[in-house]
Amino acid sequence: MAQIEIRDLGIDYRKPKSNEVFSAVDSVDLSIEKGEFVTIVGSSGCGKSTLLMAMAGLVNLSRGSIRIDGKEVTGPGRDRAVVFQEASLLPWRSVRGNVKFGLEMQRWSGGDLNERAMQMIRLVGLGRFSDYHPHQLSGGMRQRVNIARALAVDPDVLLMDEPFGALDAQTREIMGTELLRIWERHKKTALFVTHDIDEAIFLADKIVVMGRNPGHIKEVINVDLPRPRDEAVLDSEPFHDLRKRLRAHLAEDMSSMQLVKEVA
Amino acid sequence: MIAELFYRRQALILGTLSMIGLLVFWQIAVDGGLINPFFISTPSEVWTEFLAQFEDGQVGANVGATLYCFVWSMGLATVVGIVLGMLAGWFSDVEAALEPFIWFKYSAPTVAFYPLFVAWLGYGTPTIIAIAFLFALTPIYANTLSGIKNTDRDLARAARSFGAKPLDVFLQVALPGSVPVMMAGLRLGVGRALTGVVVAELFGANAGLGYAITYYGQLMQTTKMMVSIVIVILLGVILTQILSFLESKTDSWRVDSGR
Repeated sequence: MAQIEIRDLGIDYRKPKSNEVFSAVDSVDLSIEKGEFVTIVGSSGCGKSTLLMAMAGLVNLSRGSIRIDGKEVTGPGRDRAVVFQEASLLPWRSVRGNVKFGLEMQRWSGGDLNERAMQMIRLVGLGRFSDYHPHQLSGGMRQRVNIARALAVDPDVLLMDEPFGALDAQTREIMGTELLRIWERHKKTALFVTHDIDEAIFLADKIVVMGRNPGHIKEVINVDLPRPRDEAVLDSEPFHDLRKRLRAHLAEDMSSMQLVKEVA
Repeated sequence: MIAELFYRRQALILGTLSMIGLLVFWQIAVDGGLINPFFISTPSEVWTEFLAQFEDGQVGANVGATLYCFVWSMGLATVVGIVLGMLAGWFSDVEAALEPFIWFKYSAPTVAFYPLFVAWLGYGTPTIIAIAFLFALTPIYANTLSGIKNTDRDLARAARSFGAKPLDVFLQVALPGSVPVMMAGLRLGVGRALTGVVVAELFGANAGLGYAITYYGQLMQTTKMMVSIVIVILLGVILTQILSFLESKTDSWRVDSGR
């Protein structure tokens, strides 16, 4: 059995004013093997973040189930850690304080907190900045802290919700390469939500393409590009083919968006 | 060089100049016979009288009595305001239950309760403390409430993703995030508490700056009265400045200097 098994998953929201129910995610089936790097890509409103948050145990399911290592997800757990979009660091804590935060919340018992935190801070390349506060760091550095905080608790599954979404293209590319370097060390199962096609291909073993109304899986694409990868892969033939395929998917979504006038 | 110094401290220099200007104008207007000194005294006379009252111990006694009531009322308002504010900010039911009282407090002048407190506590210190407590309570309560209530949802969610229990979210996210807003509430509360003490002393006391103001006011001794008025103003400025300083210490992390 795969490490993560999602069966017939549905998540409904009630719109606050009209009390109308709408489906953010519906009929999602997905299996993820241990150690896989899976990216979830789709245009905005396709429910990709909702799906990730459901795996994190932060969203209530309306239908279906999510099992991780055979255990049903009913809430947040020690087996998972989330890297959020941005600004999810505690502004009054230093880099080290923030990395320790997850450990403190989990009542970490695996040795000295400070040492563990420093180890992770060095891993993401911020050794010299451990006493800095978030407002003193660049966006890219803050996301490194975010990643360090998640890795510190030693999760089996790493869930990332558009972690580089707010970064400029240059920094984004660097962070992608960095993330792979860190991931190669432990090969933890990783889920990574993005709307950036290149990012989705570059990182993935498997790309989950999602569509809208309601959010559903359109296609799961295997990526057979060799690892370890660097920027050179971006110019390779298979990469171009994958990019074309994903573009077609997203373009389809965009045109259907214009037909169905969305009420936000 | 001097020009540069001026630009850097422009606000401070202009403020000081206008204060000095006022004092000079005040003195000249009275000396020149434009205003009857009976109504307003003069800066020089107030200063002389201040030294005299300082020497005979009046200043010390009045400031001491006022500060005693201030410390008690501010202390009580801080404890009660922060505890109630935290409860109301965290539990919306508590907020709803307390809401009508806050409306009353906002719409009715607190001094209106004065006779009631006199009936309960008698003239003097307990009543003064009670009135000043009510004066200071609202901003401390309201700021604590809004600080806790407006806890950053993203931060709370991030905490929960690591398995934080509600108490963890409260202690580690909501509370530290609210400290700067709470400090701002305390700063407002300090000004209100002092006002409350002085106002209550005006009505009935046997010591304190407010008492001295009415006492000499009724005797029509303007200069002696002005001494206490000036001290009240200075006291308010000093106490508020201390709180502003503490406030700036606690929210250094909110400054986006490195972006």
